[in-house]
Amino acid sequence: MEFDWAEEDVSYRSELQAFLQDELPGRWEGATAVLGSAENAEYSRRFAGLLADEGWLTPHWPAEWGGTGATPWMLAVLGEELWSRGEPRGPQYMNVNWIGPSIMAHGTAEQCERYLPPIAAGDVIWCQGFSEPEAGTDLASLRTRAVPDGDHYVVNGSKIWTSYGDIADHCYLLVRTDPGAERHHGISVLLMDMDSPGLEVRPIPGMVGEHSFTELFLSDVRVPAANRLGPENEGWAVVREALSFERVGAPRWARAAYVLDETLQWARELGRVIEESTVEAVGRAKAACEAARMLCYRVIDERARDLPPSPHANVARVAMVQAERLTADACAALQGNEIMRYGSSSDLQTRKSLAAGVAAGTYEVQLNLVARRHLGLPKS
Amino acid sequence: MDFALNSDQQAVLEAVGTLLSRHAGPARLQQLGGDEPDYDHDLEKRLLEAGFLDLATTRSTCRLDAALVLEAVSGALGSCAAGWRLLVAPTLDTDLPGPVALVPDGRRGPVRFAADADAIVVIGSPVRLVRPDRSIARVRSRLGWPVGEVRELPAGGDLDGVDPAEVRTWARTALAVEMVGAMQLALDMTVRHVSDRRQFDRAIGSFQAVQHGLAECSVAVEGARWLALEAAFTGSAAAAAASLTHAVDASRLVFGRVHQYHGAMGFTREYDLHLATMRLLALRSEAEALGSPAAACAAEHWTI
Ligand SMILES: Cc1cc2nc3c(=O)[nH]c(=O)nc-3n(C[C@H](O)[C@H](O)[C@H](O)COP(=O)(O)OP(=O)(O)OC[C@H]3O[C@@H](n4cnc5c(N)ncnc54)[C@H](O)[C@@H]3O)c2cc1C
Repeated sequence: MEFDWAEEDVSYRSELQAFLQDELPGRWEGATAVLGSAENAEYSRRFAGLLADEGWLTPHWPAEWGGTGATPWMLAVLGEELWSRGEPRGPQYMNVNWIGPSIMAHGTAEQCERYLPPIAAGDVIWCQGFSEPEAGTDLASLRTRAVPDGDHYVVNGSKIWTSYGDIADHCYLLVRTDPGAERHHGISVLLMDMDSPGLEVRPIPGMVGEHSFTELFLSDVRVPAANRLGPENEGWAVVREALSFERVGAPRWARAAYVLDETLQWARELGRVIEESTVEAVGRAKAACEAARMLCYRVIDERARDLPPSPHANVARVAMVQAERLTADACAALQGNEIMRYGSSSDLQTRKSLAAGVAAGTYEVQLNLVARRHLGLPKS
Repeated sequence: MDFALNSDQQAVLEAVGTLLSRHAGPARLQQLGGDEPDYDHDLEKRLLEAGFLDLATTRSTCRLDAALVLEAVSGALGSCAAGWRLLVAPTLDTDLPGPVALVPDGRRGPVRFAADADAIVVIGSPVRLVRPDRSIARVRSRLGWPVGEVRELPAGGDLDGVDPAEVRTWARTALAVEMVGAMQLALDMTVRHVSDRRQFDRAIGSFQAVQHGLAECSVAVEGARWLALEAAFTGSAAAAAASLTHAVDASRLVFGRVHQYHGAMGFTREYDLHLATMRLLALRSEAEALGSPAAACAAEHWTI
């Protein structure tokens, strides 16, 4: 055991930092823009293109699809540096982290040819069509129905809470293809174009900054059967695999640590008196960010060793939510009544900390998994 | 000791409840701008005309009934300065013209009601009641209150004979009562949601994790509520500090949990939860602005 960085990771990080220093000079305003806002997504089209030119958008992909053979540690460094600057890749981090790899693993040659190059070039936005009004935590109960009709599927149903639905080019869509099958079977993945006739996208006014939430209504949307990813009715396995490593693909702790830094800086610049209890709140938040960092690193270490996914990923996820919450408390203590100003870092961080416990697998579900898989407790 | 409402109190609460059900509530707040609402002059006028804002008029009147009304107004998300009027104004021994804001001396930045206030109570030594000479700018705030930007305030307006400590005490009690009203609303909405919402073929409220989480919240809010009512009854500084300390702690628990158990539903502005919860952040910041309530609570009991 040792906690030093390999030389290649250190030099990778400094190269990356130099690039980001040029590209995102000083305090990049987008860092405080909300991940998930249309503004952030639009910026990502420019920024991800520049990253792609440097070979840093999809460094972990195979060379065939534009990768450079980066190790999981280098990928972690990349994620950390970007999240600590507000994630300028916007929604495209999903593309490179799991949508692209999922297409690589299960896609036909035509699908790879069609979908991977735009992702690798940083010029495409995907959304994730999983949740439905009646299927949230219990995702496997999803009901959006796809019925084969010649060389197409005819899709009917609705999706909800779809981030970026209003600006996405494609949707990684979960549908039910066999309503008679046991619930984890009978689900398929469709790669749907967002300009398909019959698809209506309705924005949902959200309360996490300008995060663009939408609802998708599908009425007789025709999706070519050639756009099905993986075997029919076995989409659950496809998506589980895609997301298995994703739990630490979004190093929220790095963004929280950045917000903490910035808010402290803000207080200093204004010459605010920082009381002892506030200093302690800041220290506590920092410690939680650091704990989340180590718990994420443990998962990356497992990936670097090619070990199968483990419950350590759930442990890391829980720790990241805790770090987000303590950071929100610390920012509120630092900013006092500034929290009433919309867009202040304490206001935004509080909202984001709420999202952290719900989006991409709720806190309670993660705790259930830690209890059962990590502690080995019996199922109720 | 008697924890039951007497018949007068019952009558007052019934009457104010009727008024609030018609002229306040989440739908009314949405109409006023939702999380960025206007000041509800109409509601304030109706409450005034019906006598609900003048239940306590002098320093010596018991303010328990006023606190009960405030709890109801807060639970109905009233967008007016009912807390300052009901509980703080009697201490000032002066007529208040209309909407009022309250700031500790020297405090700058966003303050609830400041842009709409005819008068601002400045807690310093002496306590002052100033009429803002320039119009105070509105702050873009999305915490469910009308907020104004306090910069320099005019001099004068000294309220001789008013004890700043007493004003602070009543401001604490008012904030505690307001927090309790908003927390109870958020909890009620959540209990309803987790009872109705089904996942895995059962109500999510049947999961013990959710039950324990909400049960803890409920105990915290109950504690804060009875402390705040006791503080309103006694007017004691120690009770006020204890109630606000407990309310602030309860609000941390409630804020996180009720959102958590709502899942994504709590994130849409089309649903009312955020109107109750985000308000807590503003109330908490005003609670801290009066000086740490927990430190005050300790100081009221011991010399440390
Ligand atoms: C900011 C944000 C962005 C999102 N973006 C997307 C997106 O792009 N695409 C998409 O498809 N979805 C998206 N979602 C939706 C997200 O995936 C769901 O919110 C999540 O799956 C939870 O589902 P739900 O909201 O329906 O909550 P519910 O399933 O109704 O859960 C409510 C509460 O019950 C608890 N609960 C449920 N089951 C259990 C149990 N067994 N034990 C204990 N507690 C339990 C939950 O933990 C939660 O606290 C987004 C959500 C947010 C907040």
